[in-house]
Amino acid sequence: MNDPTINNRINQTLDVIIIGAGFSGLGMAIQLQQANINNIAILERDKEVGGCWRDNQYPGAACDIPSNLYSFSFAPNPNWSRAYSSSHEILNYIKSLVSDFALQRYIRFNTNVNDITFDDNTGLWIIKTDTKKIGSSETLKARSVVIASGPLANCSFPNIPGLEEYKGHKIHSARWDHEVDFSDKKVALVGTGASAVQIIPELVQTAKHLTVFQRTPAWVLPRLDAETPPWISTLFRKIPGTQKLTRQALFALHEVGALGLIWNSPLTSIMQRVALKHLQHQVKDSWMQRQLTPNFRIGCKRVLMSSEYYPALQQPNCKLITWPIAKMSEKGIRCVEGIEHQFDCIVFATGFDIGTQTAPFSVKGVGGRDLGEDWKRGAQAYKSINVSGYPNLFLTFGPNSGPGHNSALVYVESQLHYAVQGIQRILNEGLARLDVRERAQEKYNIQIQKRLTKTNWNSGCKSWYLTKDGFNATMFPGFATQYSAQMRQFEDKDYLRVSV
Amino acid sequence: MASIDLEKMRQKIKCTQWALVDFDWESPGADKITAEQWPKLKTFMADLMWIEHVGARGFAALAKSAPTDNLREIYTYFHAEEQRHANAEMALMKRWGMLDENESPVPSANLRLVIEWLERYADDTPFNLLATLIPMLEVTLDGALCKYLLETVEDPLCHEVFAKINDDESRHLGVGFSVMEMQGKGPHYIAFIEMLGRLLDPRMMAGALVYFPLLSSMRDNLIAMGMQEEKLYKTMDKFKKIGGRTAQGRRNPWFQLLHYHGTIMVDRSNHFYHMPVDMLVALSNKIPQRLLPSQPGWVAELTHKPTA
Repeated sequence: MNDPTINNRINQTLDVIIIGAGFSGLGMAIQLQQANINNIAILERDKEVGGCWRDNQYPGAACDIPSNLYSFSFAPNPNWSRAYSSSHEILNYIKSLVSDFALQRYIRFNTNVNDITFDDNTGLWIIKTDTKKIGSSETLKARSVVIASGPLANCSFPNIPGLEEYKGHKIHSARWDHEVDFSDKKVALVGTGASAVQIIPELVQTAKHLTVFQRTPAWVLPRLDAETPPWISTLFRKIPGTQKLTRQALFALHEVGALGLIWNSPLTSIMQRVALKHLQHQVKDSWMQRQLTPNFRIGCKRVLMSSEYYPALQQPNCKLITWPIAKMSEKGIRCVEGIEHQFDCIVFATGFDIGTQTAPFSVKGVGGRDLGEDWKRGAQAYKSINVSGYPNLFLTFGPNSGPGHNSALVYVESQLHYAVQGIQRILNEGLARLDVRERAQEKYNIQIQKRLTKTNWNSGCKSWYLTKDGFNATMFPGFATQYSAQMRQFEDKDYLRVSV
Repeated sequence: MASIDLEKMRQKIKCTQWALVDFDWESPGADKITAEQWPKLKTFMADLMWIEHVGARGFAALAKSAPTDNLREIYTYFHAEEQRHANAEMALMKRWGMLDENESPVPSANLRLVIEWLERYADDTPFNLLATLIPMLEVTLDGALCKYLLETVEDPLCHEVFAKINDDESRHLGVGFSVMEMQGKGPHYIAFIEMLGRLLDPRMMAGALVYFPLLSSMRDNLIAMGMQEEKLYKTMDKFKKIGGRTAQGRRNPWFQLLHYHGTIMVDRSNHFYHMPVDMLVALSNKIPQRLLPSQPGWVAELTHKPTA
């Protein structure tokens, strides 16, 4: 049995280092623990667990997948207060994972990973970190590494000329400033994506005036949210099978959605019609309807879920601006229609820096090859989890693992299960390297890209799913069931093994 | 005319933006408008402003139906730029005491009908028609109006503002004529048949019924304000010359049709055309205000205030 505290073990060679203490990092630790692999550490750059749910605490932040599905199947929570829980409640759930599965002993907070390098001679990963708390750097060693830093780790500001010229207060949705009192302020909000449609209905109630700057409208479906009646929680607690059934029903319902959202089918037209009717029902002004109607097929970009967004835009203290932004000035935003819109505060709900999907640190594999370089033209991995030339390295939310229609955690669970199988082989067989064969990776990606050409994501619109060259390294072209099926079995034949 | 590089043009458009706050609207020179000039100029500026605004709505429709992402973005910018011109012209009217604080110029009955038609059908108008019509209006009406204005108004701020507006317009025309030539690609007879089919669309016929009187009344207003008729002929010649300078441009049937219509529109001696159109102008002016359609949401976006 290992020493229970990570600080006493950190200088030893660890079996697994997990980078990130969000949903997938903690889930990985739980799965490893359950496989009796305890010589592990979780490195977290912040002082708290939670990942993007810790960072995204803006007003109205919530998940657009029902909570009974957006949670781990191995850690059900019968007490969700609503169908779609708030960010705060999700964060509490993540924190409860730490206490319920005694994960505290593995976590090293305030530890920022600078780079990880595979040592060809020893078959160990060398992880260089700096620790915020004591301001020192450390070098750690581990047989395997799981990168669970998530795709939404770094927030992104838009590429607007003169961004630095603006002298007012700038807030990013993923780094919300809870100290600001908006009641006496003229506020601008840039962006109309998933975060924005949640912030706007809240901000319009508190701000003196809100101006929303939209570049591209998105398809918005109504969100059928409701409080959970107490009897449901009681039922889930007393008969856990009912919650499992509910989860399966929700899963199946979302799987059906794939038929409309991923591929262009009659269901796509029906869903688009529903979204259009939702818009026409909530917005009566024809010009505003036009401004809010997307010019691409539903599913091509992320579909938003909100019943409050359109009414909020029509409040007397709210204005929607769709003119292109020319530049930012000292006092606000100048649009191409020639008007300088002046504000006390600007909120950027402009998403995250997805980049080429590498980790937010340098990753060097066999022979010093660099993952950033390898992925320059588009990220590629085998089954989204392993990359050839980077042995003993596992990715969560890796290339082509994104769902467009179902809970991301369903995909994560499959990845965790697969990674445990790989790590077990490394440890049990005493392997220095477990490396996916280049040919197997290539073959897998040819198939994935072929299937992607037939999806709505590749139907012509510009989205963060695609690189500038139109390469889709983000989404998985299929049902969640298909993804889970491909991850069920560890494909030994596709891996090279080198013993220590 | 060789086709321009639309990608480079898009970059250029983004780099040459200006705003109303770039000008000092209180600078000296407003008093150079004479008492005699003032009432005519007020009508003239209102017409000019509305033409820009109607043009803006045309560009919005083009942005929706443009065949490429690049062209779509260019037209999105042009939509906003035409709005900027209308805003700047309103700011000049405000400077010259022609507008109160929250006042907008009142559109004529013809304009109201055109605005209503655009509200209903602009987005369904064939791309090829709009992409040819807008350059024609920019060269003839817009061009003639701006030239006339700069010849008669001495306020230096007006000249500064219109230098910027004209720079924008030259880019609009560059893209406009380039796109017109693109439409000349492919078999001539197919394009011609397609055009005929479009013209038989009742929405297009209704459009002609509101567009012809508007154009005619604007032409007459210009002449009444002292503009020489030859100048209008010259602008129409300019459209013919540039639009038809290549074989490809000449093969665009919409260019041929609109040029032909423009020629008879400026020629008052063509009674066969002008008599019925004059009747339509008279008729539309008799429509009581309360029966005219209310203004759509996009009209409310106009402002003379440089900051908001």
